[in-house]
Amino acid sequence: MTATVAPPDAAEVDLAGSRKERRKRERLEERDGVIPVQLYGLKRGTVSVMTICCVLFAIFTLVPIAWIIINSTKTQANIFGTFGFWFARPFEFFHNFRMLFEDVDDDGTYINWFGNTALYAVLGGVGATALAAFAGYGFARFQFRGSKVFFYIVIGALLVPIGAITLPLYLVYAKAHLINSIWGMILPSLVSPVGVYLMRTYIGLSVPRELIDAARIDGAGETRIFFKIALPLMVPGLMTVLLLSVVGVWNNYFLPLIIFSNNNLFPLTVGMGLWSQHATTSGDQNLYPLIVMGGLVTIAPLIILFLILQRYWRGGMLLGSIAN
Amino acid sequence: MAAITLSELTKVYATGVKALDSLDLEVADGEFVVLVGPSGCGKTTALRMVAGLELITSGTVSFGDRVVNGVSPRHRDVAMVFQNYALYPHLSVYQNIGFALENKKVAKAERDRRIRDAASILGLTKLLGREPQQLSGGQRQRVAMGRAIVREPSVFLMDEPLSNLDAKLRVQMRSEVLRIHESVGAATMYVTHDQTEAMTMGDRVAVLQGGLLQQYDTPRSLYDHPANVFVATFIGSPAMNLYEAGLEAAGTLVLGSQRLELPAPAAARVAAFQGRKVLVGIRPEDLTVSASGSALVADVRFVEVLGSEQHVYFSIDATPAGAAAGAVVADESAEAGILLGSAPNGAARLDPRVAVQPGGRITFALDPARLYFFDPDTGQAITG
Repeated sequence: MTATVAPPDAAEVDLAGSRKERRKRERLEERDGVIPVQLYGLKRGTVSVMTICCVLFAIFTLVPIAWIIINSTKTQANIFGTFGFWFARPFEFFHNFRMLFEDVDDDGTYINWFGNTALYAVLGGVGATALAAFAGYGFARFQFRGSKVFFYIVIGALLVPIGAITLPLYLVYAKAHLINSIWGMILPSLVSPVGVYLMRTYIGLSVPRELIDAARIDGAGETRIFFKIALPLMVPGLMTVLLLSVVGVWNNYFLPLIIFSNNNLFPLTVGMGLWSQHATTSGDQNLYPLIVMGGLVTIAPLIILFLILQRYWRGGMLLGSIAN
Repeated sequence: MAAITLSELTKVYATGVKALDSLDLEVADGEFVVLVGPSGCGKTTALRMVAGLELITSGTVSFGDRVVNGVSPRHRDVAMVFQNYALYPHLSVYQNIGFALENKKVAKAERDRRIRDAASILGLTKLLGREPQQLSGGQRQRVAMGRAIVREPSVFLMDEPLSNLDAKLRVQMRSEVLRIHESVGAATMYVTHDQTEAMTMGDRVAVLQGGLLQQYDTPRSLYDHPANVFVATFIGSPAMNLYEAGLEAAGTLVLGSQRLELPAPAAARVAAFQGRKVLVGIRPEDLTVSASGSALVADVRFVEVLGSEQHVYFSIDATPAGAAAGAVVADESAEAGILLGSAPNGAARLDPRVAVQPGGRITFALDPARLYFFDPDTGQAITG
């Protein structure tokens, strides 16, 4: 290997540049690549009407969140006595926040439930994402006996509502000693038919067979191909599944309600439900401000998670890999 | 011993489609063999079977004297360049080239040396830190080549590696691929549908059609001695003109209303077909406008001036050989003729300085010794 061939560099465009510049160029190219709305042939005003409809719907969706933020600053009396969509004195936000972390009713503490929820969500969400990645890759890129049947079973599982299987689930759990066990919460959270379905579809589109073939020719084993070649290309899909799974476990109310009777194991959903119940029955516990504040603190991590993960949702993962 | 031997290699897909039918092929050590044919002829299937990416229905693939039918691609020690490059998009050029060595657990220093060697052969040294998306098409193509040559393989497979490049770069890369082949010295199988690539690059060329090997020979032999009508019309541009002709006693060829006297050797070759029909082939460059030699009168339909030469499309009153005989007929001249309403049925490659007017009449001179003859029933060449 001694001959040196002069590269035809002169004729080629220099495509280097910092990552930031590249991103900017990609954004501009994307904008240039889209047909401008003026050329859609729509009736005059259609775009404005549609935009107004979208804004109205957005407001409708955001109203409860605005309410919860405003009312987290109020005392119990003000929550019921003042206009719901504006602030009222005294400003009790920090007091409410501090009270949230105290055991107000001998039911258990918010911080404890928060920790439980985080534990279930992280273990369940990460586990579900990992299993969805393996299963989705298997369904998308391997042919094996019964692969279609198994996949239809997964699709079928999408259609079964959790309510329909509560009783059998409870009976199985009782036999398996999973009542009042964190595994009772985590194990079912690991299975995510939606995740498997999404990953199979995503891998089908974003991990080309040629790339896997190339890696096989390059002498890589299947495990190495999965972790070194396929997994990095699956990241945007994985982040979607991770977010859906974490949110799913975070918001799960029904499953913990039937399997936990020990307050210390409750996640936020059930704990807050318990507070809400007590607030209605005992009245003067000053619990409402805590329920409102608890609701706000409960959704905050999900918003933060969404903001962290959204940077992974970008296209163009395959740029430069496969020529058309 | 041949480096690669394909013996009665057959592929039938689950749908029942027979992609490859009993292919026998030998590739010697260091030889550059091109598999060429129209799309769907089975050439890529054959290559993928050699690579181990496709199950073999029957027959064998051997490297040296080792049958590798059941060996997985990762254990075959073949290097392959894919049609669409298949670069790992998240790895740098350096990592892309080094991936195979990493899999083989080659020591780091050795790996580095080989990556840099390959990069310098391909002129990629300055681009080692870049990712594929920061490269141009030609650079990506060279990375794909680098990924293959760094392994110093004994078998080198290329699946239409130049088809995604523009025309100018393709010509440039043709010679580059050959130079790399010479420096690597591995037995190479190269798939293409482009007859120019096949003719210019291959030590030997295998022409495939419908999963069957039509002819396996040097480019020169394919052109001068095509085994059948398919090879005759597939190789060469413009394609060979092919007509049905009658053969009268004493070696007179009847081409429509015109007659050509065959010289004795040619007449002897087709003696067995006397009184019957034969297919006669004329290469476009064998038609000239000089005054000597036998004459063929034709009506000029249209002319393509290419600068260094001109292609004159004409019609004569002879019947062109149809697809039934295996000829490649769907070429641009026929299509253009349909548009004009009067299909030309022949082409001549002439000196650009000869004045030719579309719509006019032209008298071609032709050396009857340079005619090709084929059996109209089998499509096979008549060699006498």
